[in-house]
Amino acid sequence: MSSRRSGSTSTWLVLGLGFFFLYAPILSLIIYSFNENRLVTVWSGFSIKWYGELFRDQQMMKAAWISLQLAFYTAWASVVLGTMAAMVMTRFRSFRGKTLFGGLITAPLVMPEVITGLSMLLMFIALRGLLGIELPLGMTTIWIAHVTFCMAFVAVVISSRLSELDKSLEEAAMDLGAGPVKVFFVITLPIITPALLSGWLLAFTLSLDDLVISSFVTGPSSTTLPMKVFSSVRMGVSPKINALATLLIAVVSTVGVIGWYLMARAERKRARDLQLAANQ
Amino acid sequence: MASVDADAAGSNGTMVNSAANPPAPSPDRYLVIDTVRKEFDGFVAVDDVSLTIRKGEIFALLGASGCGKSTLLRCLAGFETPTAGRIELEGQSLIGLPPYERRINMMFQSYALFPHMTVEQNIAFGLKQDGMAKAAMRARVDEMLSLVQMNRFAKRKPHQLSGGQQQRVALARSLAKSPKMLLLDEPMGALDKKLRSQMQLELVNIIEKLGVTCVMVTHDQEEAMTMAHRIAIMEQGRIRQCAKPDEIYEQPNCRYTAGFIGSVNLFEGRIDKDEKDFVTIRTSAFPDPIYVAHGVTGFEGMEVAMALRPEKLRISKHEPDLKHNKAHGSIEDIAYFGSHSVYHVRLDGGCKVMCNFVNMKRWDSESFTWNDPVWVSWGDLEGVVLSS
Repeated sequence: MSSRRSGSTSTWLVLGLGFFFLYAPILSLIIYSFNENRLVTVWSGFSIKWYGELFRDQQMMKAAWISLQLAFYTAWASVVLGTMAAMVMTRFRSFRGKTLFGGLITAPLVMPEVITGLSMLLMFIALRGLLGIELPLGMTTIWIAHVTFCMAFVAVVISSRLSELDKSLEEAAMDLGAGPVKVFFVITLPIITPALLSGWLLAFTLSLDDLVISSFVTGPSSTTLPMKVFSSVRMGVSPKINALATLLIAVVSTVGVIGWYLMARAERKRARDLQLAANQ
Repeated sequence: MASVDADAAGSNGTMVNSAANPPAPSPDRYLVIDTVRKEFDGFVAVDDVSLTIRKGEIFALLGASGCGKSTLLRCLAGFETPTAGRIELEGQSLIGLPPYERRINMMFQSYALFPHMTVEQNIAFGLKQDGMAKAAMRARVDEMLSLVQMNRFAKRKPHQLSGGQQQRVALARSLAKSPKMLLLDEPMGALDKKLRSQMQLELVNIIEKLGVTCVMVTHDQEEAMTMAHRIAIMEQGRIRQCAKPDEIYEQPNCRYTAGFIGSVNLFEGRIDKDEKDFVTIRTSAFPDPIYVAHGVTGFEGMEVAMALRPEKLRISKHEPDLKHNKAHGSIEDIAYFGSHSVYHVRLDGGCKVMCNFVNMKRWDSESFTWNDPVWVSWGDLEGVVLSS
């Protein structure tokens, strides 16, 4: 009895330490966002004035708007291209260089960001020098660079869903008279919608918090939020950043909780329906 | 290696002469599969298979997994293209036609019901592809729903249905377009045993009611025997025998078929005397040669096997009043199945035979017990001589 108690105590202790290690920094960040003092590390009373400061900071708001736009367009382009790549990897008959193709698609996952960013910058310069294609560094170049690496993540998410999808569903649709293109849009796409959605969200968040690659290919008028945060922290940490981080955490965890709730509800409903069907 | 006797030879008349010009389509030659071959990276999955299937027939491809039966079915559906050979439906070649241009529909083993559509939408899917008018489509869907008695589930999604209900919907969906041919891939594979036997008969009733020609693939011999008008036994990409269920069972043409369908006692031996109206076969299992009361195509000294079904053997306590085909032994094992018992009798020669005994009276099963000395005997016409 006593050994079991001490066992469970140490289990709780280890678990508590783990959670503390993971979440204490975030928790302190949130708490200090409500600090009245302009020094981040000195607590002098509760206040929400830094939130007001944040929203009055035009530069910060502009950077946030640019980042959101970028993330939005990146997510869409990555989902379209990633789905196409995933279809080729999972549905096409084997062709020469298929393994190489798959490798090249997923290579950006392990590529150091510095290298991706640098090579992107060199490519844009080369395009101008060799082919005369004028791509001013800015939103467009950041978007292209983001799509390049986000697409790899999306392709992995969607191809894993596609490869576990029962191929006979698509065959059945074809058997009933639908051509391959129609089968893709009427059968495959609706069934993998959850994977598309999670791929979209993944690309959105990856693009939203990318700093390194953006820094290489950015132009004078297109500072993204991570870049703005990073540069302002170098000047000295302002409690405004805490407020910004707290807002981001709030948004992300709200979306996460809603997603989890919807999924759990669908699962419960499915179990109930199955029970109903079995009882008939 | 010809077939064994005149009757069995008649049942094998399904081979197609590939050299002949294709004759006008007749009901007997509804589907013609001619020397179809399918290779995957050098592995031969279907090895020069030829079959003709009649209009309105329920035809089963039966074999162990990996024998090529599913590949052949997928060639019919259009999911695989044969490496060589012809496939013709009503005299028109199917080679090169994609699945969506064939008037052939398939019921998949997993049913492959579209999870994001209701029962109704699933059934209407094929009709929609044909551009059928809304009203006509609704009428057809209703008709199919009542055919499979699923009207009250029309608005349900597939995951809200039990296995048997899903199968009904899958059947309705594959029949909705009035296909020229229905393909069934392991139709009962996903059902439990009790539901299986009920659905087998129901499926046959529906298919026969509509008169649709049907090719099914199964590894379950009972299913093939119950449902099909004719069965082709496949092994390693080849057809071993193609005949009616009773002919397959009673007149197997080779050791593989005899062993694959039902249980059998096989005795290897040689033809001892080859006369016009009888042969005798010497085996190591029995002291006296086996007497078979009909001629066979063969020669004296030819290596053959004698196949005897367990239910053709009689078991008795006293020596039967027969000139041939009897042996003495003792009961070594008893398998009691309720309706019948299978006695494993060790013959005095050392060989073991299986012998069925129908428990017709309530206390029948107690009349023999372990180590009882018994006689085993069979009629002159009950065994099958196999040369291949």
